[in-house]
Amino acid sequence: MSGRIIALIVASFGVVVLALSTTGVLPADAMQQLFRGSLGSPRAISNTLRETTPLLIAGVAVFLALRAGLFNIGVEGQLVVGALSATAIVLSVPGPLGVVLGVVGASAAGAAWAYPAGWIRAWRGGHEVITTIMLNNIALFLTRALVAGPLKDPDDQAPTTAMVDATSRMPWLFQHDNLKVNVGLAFGLIAVAGLAFWLRRTVGGYELAAAGANPPAAQAAGVPIQRVQVRAMAMSGAIAGLAGAVQALAYEGRFYSGFSPGYGFDSLGVALLAGLSPWGLIPAALGFGILNQGSTALTLIGIPRGLTGVLLGLLIIVFAALRYREVKRG
Amino acid sequence: MAEFGWVLWLTTSLVLAAPVVLAAMGGLTSERSGIMNIALEGKMLTAACVTALVANATGSAVVGLAAGVTASLLLSLLLGLLAQAYRMDHIVAGMAINALALGGTRFLHQRFTDPDRAAEMAKLPIELYFGLALLAPFVVALVLVRTRGGLRLLAVGSDPEKSRQAGLRPAPIRYGALSATGLLCGLAGAMLVTNAGGFSDGMTAGKGFIALAAVVLGGWRPLPTLAACLAFGLIDGFQLQVQGSRLVGSGIPSEFWNALPYLATVLAMAFLGGRTRAPAGLGRP
Amino acid sequence: MTPPDYAVQMRGITQRFGAVVALDQVDLSVRPGAIHAVVGENGAGKTTLMRVLQGHLAGAGGTVALHGKPVQFARPEDALRHHVGMVSQHYSIIPDLTCLQNLILGDERAGWLRPSSAITRANALAAQMGFGFDWRAEARTLSPAGAQKLEILKLLWREAEIMILDEPTAMLSPADADALFASLHQLTVQGATVILVTHRIPEVMEHCQYVTVLRGGRLVADWPVSATNSTQLAEAIVGHALAPPLARAQTVGEPILAVDGLSVRGYRGDVAAQDVTFSVRAGELVGIAGVDGSGQRELIQALTGTRRPLAGTLRMGADNVTRATPAQRIWRGVRLIPEDRLQEGVIEDWSLVDNVALGLQRLKPIAQGPWLDRGAAATLAAQVVARFQTKHGGLSHPMRSLSGGNQQRLVAARALAIAPRLVLAFQPARGLDIDGAAQVYQALREAAQAGAGALVVSFDLDELLLYCDRILVMRDGRLYEPAVNEARDRAVIGRLMVGAEGSA
Repeated sequence: MSGRIIALIVASFGVVVLALSTTGVLPADAMQQLFRGSLGSPRAISNTLRETTPLLIAGVAVFLALRAGLFNIGVEGQLVVGALSATAIVLSVPGPLGVVLGVVGASAAGAAWAYPAGWIRAWRGGHEVITTIMLNNIALFLTRALVAGPLKDPDDQAPTTAMVDATSRMPWLFQHDNLKVNVGLAFGLIAVAGLAFWLRRTVGGYELAAAGANPPAAQAAGVPIQRVQVRAMAMSGAIAGLAGAVQALAYEGRFYSGFSPGYGFDSLGVALLAGLSPWGLIPAALGFGILNQGSTALTLIGIPRGLTGVLLGLLIIVFAALRYREVKRG
Repeated sequence: MAEFGWVLWLTTSLVLAAPVVLAAMGGLTSERSGIMNIALEGKMLTAACVTALVANATGSAVVGLAAGVTASLLLSLLLGLLAQAYRMDHIVAGMAINALALGGTRFLHQRFTDPDRAAEMAKLPIELYFGLALLAPFVVALVLVRTRGGLRLLAVGSDPEKSRQAGLRPAPIRYGALSATGLLCGLAGAMLVTNAGGFSDGMTAGKGFIALAAVVLGGWRPLPTLAACLAFGLIDGFQLQVQGSRLVGSGIPSEFWNALPYLATVLAMAFLGGRTRAPAGLGRP
Repeated sequence: MTPPDYAVQMRGITQRFGAVVALDQVDLSVRPGAIHAVVGENGAGKTTLMRVLQGHLAGAGGTVALHGKPVQFARPEDALRHHVGMVSQHYSIIPDLTCLQNLILGDERAGWLRPSSAITRANALAAQMGFGFDWRAEARTLSPAGAQKLEILKLLWREAEIMILDEPTAMLSPADADALFASLHQLTVQGATVILVTHRIPEVMEHCQYVTVLRGGRLVADWPVSATNSTQLAEAIVGHALAPPLARAQTVGEPILAVDGLSVRGYRGDVAAQDVTFSVRAGELVGIAGVDGSGQRELIQALTGTRRPLAGTLRMGADNVTRATPAQRIWRGVRLIPEDRLQEGVIEDWSLVDNVALGLQRLKPIAQGPWLDRGAAATLAAQVVARFQTKHGGLSHPMRSLSGGNQQRLVAARALAIAPRLVLAFQPARGLDIDGAAQVYQALREAAQAGAGALVVSFDLDELLLYCDRILVMRDGRLYEPAVNEARDRAVIGRLMVGAEGSA
């Protein structure tokens, strides 16, 4: 491992230790509290899994786009339009049928939200980082207007939809004592497996990865680059929309203004940490889930919430540096 | 409905636009040298936080400002380091820095803010920042066109390989550009926190990305970018005026006006294309 | 002339790139005020020699002296300071900057720029040469001739006395080329020394006073132009004929590819290939000879479908494929051995198996409908790798673990693996030794005998003479064919390549 990488790791370590030292908490105690808060009890584990689920699904979405050479920063927006769509559909069509329709609708909404960014990138060269971030903001305002207006719960002053009824929620896979695992998590695992299978075993997946890895070579190999890019963004958006549906129908039961606490950016981190294989998304999402959930517990012993954010940023840097070092060597 | 306050609208808009102008000039400088910079948000936020904390701790507005600018400068150089020395993808590096900034400022804010202190943060007059924001585009334009350093910056951002042939070395020039970016974003962040009177988590609220959008809309040129920032500011100010209520006679919700600048950016990129006027050397080592 | 009077004297220059010897004990002596030509085919070493003079290659063996004084150039700035400047073949003008900005870049002379005084000086220099520029216009608006004039002015701006021009007329029309030589003559009258790197014999005969010939990295001739003629020069450049090429017994079938009137735009917006007409029949290997940059690249791209032609048609059998996508052409049996495998042939991080599938991913047996049959891909990879004894450490290892030569073997074998009908081979033996090259061409021959046709583009005339049935020549975007009775005459083809046909 080159001296540069070692320097980076040492520096990152130093930053974290320095930050901790200002709080007066020993690293060992901090770690213990972190794990206690995230994995120390059935309730904690449930909450951690609840955090992990949307991160996992959204992580799949970002990973897919990344493989095609695209940065989908728009997961935030795709997720909320998906969530709102699912909620609205389920409110009109309750019950399991509604849930199925809601999932479909959410994916369609997410895909529609990502499509313009893909098109602009493929056919106009406009960088998708900017267009997806813009679309995020548009989504935010659009959904806000909708839940303050036509989709608002008439019985409630706040900008929120009505609660969907109990039959329209995504069921719990497992519910015992305080340990609850929702089927949404299963969706996430299936999405990971599906992506891994698709990338490895279909021509479409192969071509997408080729387009992302070496566009001129892919083009000479017959891959229609622009169409692949547009399709990749649309698929990524659809999966992000699915994440929104899960968040709405499994955990929240409604949609309100301020719905997403920033899953968009976190999912980019998840995808980057996952490495080369989609299976890496599982430990990455779980790691983020633990850090997010545990940060609440950390505040109880006087460690401000931001520390886990810093840690995540440093992790991304170190992992990215490691990855690019390998690329450069050959 | 109360009469629409035109003057108030204009002044509010200018105040809202000014930090975006500073950040946009910072982004423009870095991008013209070839470094994609999506970390404007993080730099502004960090500068805002550090300025507030240090100004409160030392009681001196000047020291606060200096500290905030320094923090932004360091983050900017970090971006350069990751991009040049570690050959990291510029976007990944930028997003990582944003994440660091978000978490770091939250941490610092919570850890070092004295809750008992009710006194006003020591600050410099807002007019000073305002003036700097107004000057910045013209200074940047002048430097790019009329100085040796500016010319070399443009060359490196346009074609790093050919610049090497002409005897230039891209790395030091890019670090120089990023220093300017750090300075400008630092001023932007300090202005934000001066205006608000204190720091709150995530107070930049996407202004860094709007600044980047303004750079794209402005074709990476200082004066058109200034115009784009002003346009964003006007729209922002307009929706504040309308303040959540409906515009009389038209059922258009205020959120439509909020979304307008972003929508405009997307449409502009669809029709004008984001690549055609971008510095040709963006992202190239 | 006694030695100290030479403007440039290079002695015993030797340069290695890895195992390849690019220059082997080369001498070059240039008299002051002369226009001195350095000629040779691609790969002969002329550009390398100039790069040594320009300070780009610090580790070269041998000595360099300017006006009698020995010099050591560690980097390009050193050469610039000694008033040695080069106009490179691929222009270094930055299109987005203005003409004036391009002119002064790197030698601005002040921190604060004064465009008006710079323009004054620039106009004075330009007037000396009879040039005129709109200094505030963007450099992208310049024609190739204009860009070149700007490059020359750049040298003058830096007060260069020794000017190296690398293939300067490659992009110019005959009229522009004449104007260029008038300018060069003017420059020498004003005291400059010009070294002209070229492969074009007419230019040398008409405008230069001295000529040095390189071949295979070695010095083969050094004459005053008045003492030689085009024929002698052409023979020195391409070398004496090797043992006569073997006659080919061929039964040719129907045309697999018919190209008619094809014109293709190049990278710089110029017309790179013009009105090209030829055909490739089943069973034959057709070679395209020519110096690099004659339009071969664009032609191949039009044939693979990655570049849209301006005019003309392509037919495969009865079908018009002019606008077919690359995928459609692959389906019809078009296979590519690309010129630059790293850029357009392989994905270095991927495994050998995945790379073998690249380009074949929609064909049976790798594709079964929408599914990718990894087992079939692995089996195919094993066959591909075995074909030319590609040395590897395991099929799942990344492509970058293979040496350059072995990568080339894999890429060549891959193109022949599944039902090739038309093989487009651009420098198929690049990086291979004689045996490796023979194997690849033998495999092409076998494919041809099985009913395919092959089009081979190479910068190595000997290779083409040895292995191809028919040789065409591309020069300046146009296609030429030698007369039937001279179809394999090395000297004739050599003259076609450099444009010396018809001159004494």
